[in-house]
Amino acid sequence: MYDAIYIEEHDTPVVTFAFEHFFNDAMSAASSKGMPVVRIVPETIVSESTVVEDIEAAITAVADDMVAALTRPLTAEEKSPRPREPEHPERIVFKGNLEEVNRFFYQRGWTDGLPVIPPTEAAVAGMLTGTDLPADHLVAELEPRRGKATIEKIAINAVMAGCLPTYMPLLIAGVQCLADNPVSGMMAASTGSFSPFWLINGPIARDIHVISSYGATNPGNIANAAIGRAMGLITKNMRGIRKQIEDMGVFGNPGKYSWVAAENEEYSPWEPLHVERGFKKEDSTITLTFPQSFQQMMPFGTDDKGILATVIGSVSPARMGLFILLLTPAHARSFADRGWTKKAIKEYIVKNTIVPDDYFPRLGLKTDKPFDRGNVTGPGLGPQIFRPDPRNPDPVQVYVFGGFGSWMGFMQGGPPPVTRKVELPGNWDKLVAKYKNIVPSYVRY
Amino acid sequence: MIVDKSVASYEVLSPWAEADPIPLKGLAPRLNDLAGKKIGLLCNNKRAAPLILNVAERLLEERYPTSETSWFYARSFSVSSLEPDRKAEFDDWIKGLDAVVAAVGD
Repeated sequence: MYDAIYIEEHDTPVVTFAFEHFFNDAMSAASSKGMPVVRIVPETIVSESTVVEDIEAAITAVADDMVAALTRPLTAEEKSPRPREPEHPERIVFKGNLEEVNRFFYQRGWTDGLPVIPPTEAAVAGMLTGTDLPADHLVAELEPRRGKATIEKIAINAVMAGCLPTYMPLLIAGVQCLADNPVSGMMAASTGSFSPFWLINGPIARDIHVISSYGATNPGNIANAAIGRAMGLITKNMRGIRKQIEDMGVFGNPGKYSWVAAENEEYSPWEPLHVERGFKKEDSTITLTFPQSFQQMMPFGTDDKGILATVIGSVSPARMGLFILLLTPAHARSFADRGWTKKAIKEYIVKNTIVPDDYFPRLGLKTDKPFDRGNVTGPGLGPQIFRPDPRNPDPVQVYVFGGFGSWMGFMQGGPPPVTRKVELPGNWDKLVAKYKNIVPSYVRY
Repeated sequence: MIVDKSVASYEVLSPWAEADPIPLKGLAPRLNDLAGKKIGLLCNNKRAAPLILNVAERLLEERYPTSETSWFYARSFSVSSLEPDRKAEFDDWIKGLDAVVAAVGD
């Protein structure tokens, strides 16, 4: 829709075809760019369909609408849309018991479907102890809604998600990551159901108990569960990307509830990810990617040859975007003991994940174009129809986390990582001491 | 959720971020007729987009034989937002058109 608006601004009329289920999404996108009156022709072509007969029939059926959208005189509202009223929401939006508060929030579309902690003045004030920044400090305006991610709004959503105040520095840096990546809004809304995955590096992981070992991304501890949940609420309540309205993920993705791990720096033989990305080892960072899929497998062997053979044999041409190899500390050690660096592993994967020349003919497909629209070939690439992502000079990442097992994993899809340094408040040590004993204590049975 | 309603009452703050209203813009004037006009076909990087516009182009040619079409293939989902290196090329393309039919492939 952004290009349609750009062209209308250049005094040229535009009509845009959009799948009927995406009408709300398209109108939200247009409104966010200041043109809530664009002319869209809804059609019945399933998103990204390549079935020519369906497309022929669907566009023929709306041909008159196409012509009318370019020729029908403008209404007064289309010529000059009425300005929107400024939003001046009440500071206290509701008063009620726990059930009533939850029902109120849920019915306004402000939750992820799970119960939330009521964000009272006192709870939010407690959350604000996690940062030295003032409550009205604007961290970013998040596209497409351009919602103002102030420190207070971040704290309110953090309370709802069940965060501790010590998570605030990570949430603030997380919002900066979202703002840094120009396509993160599109990722959150995409039919591809890309989910944010947050990797934590540096001392903060240990300070606030972000799990890096066994079951790192499982439920069961507050930090891994609540940090990602808070970022999901921020995406909904600030960015304005809501399920079935702007978020048109076809299958959806459970990672959107919360998908957080710390890198297992203690047992990784290599420099941590944040050091690889130019930060100091003593810095704390948060790194954002948007994988759409997560797969675990048992490698052919647990040495370098076995793991790499499994990678090359498992990467299919229909995949697209970033490819993250997930190694346990044991597998990382196996590589390092045989002289492999992360850089060498990446180069090996990019070099060898090439589909045979006769891939399409063998499947009966009459095309010389790449199967995946993300993998655009170019001069000199010849018949190599798959590379992880030729648009990205560093398409493969290696993350080390998890327990000491022999499973390996992939995360696939999305743009390159974005990393932000976490700024800690002056009273950090006191805060950490205050909350450090909040950990599960399991009874043996 | 089911909770004990006899306990606390909470006064809660809104999680919904404020957003400044932005200046709203109207649409470009419409054409009286498409006959004899140059129509741009704007295609983003999704696979359905060119297939949709192939049909649209054929229908336009059938209805308006004196019209002319001109294609622009985006590499992304938005030339104006994500392809700064092609902005001049895009602007030149727009200048030569009377109207545009766009397909987003979704």
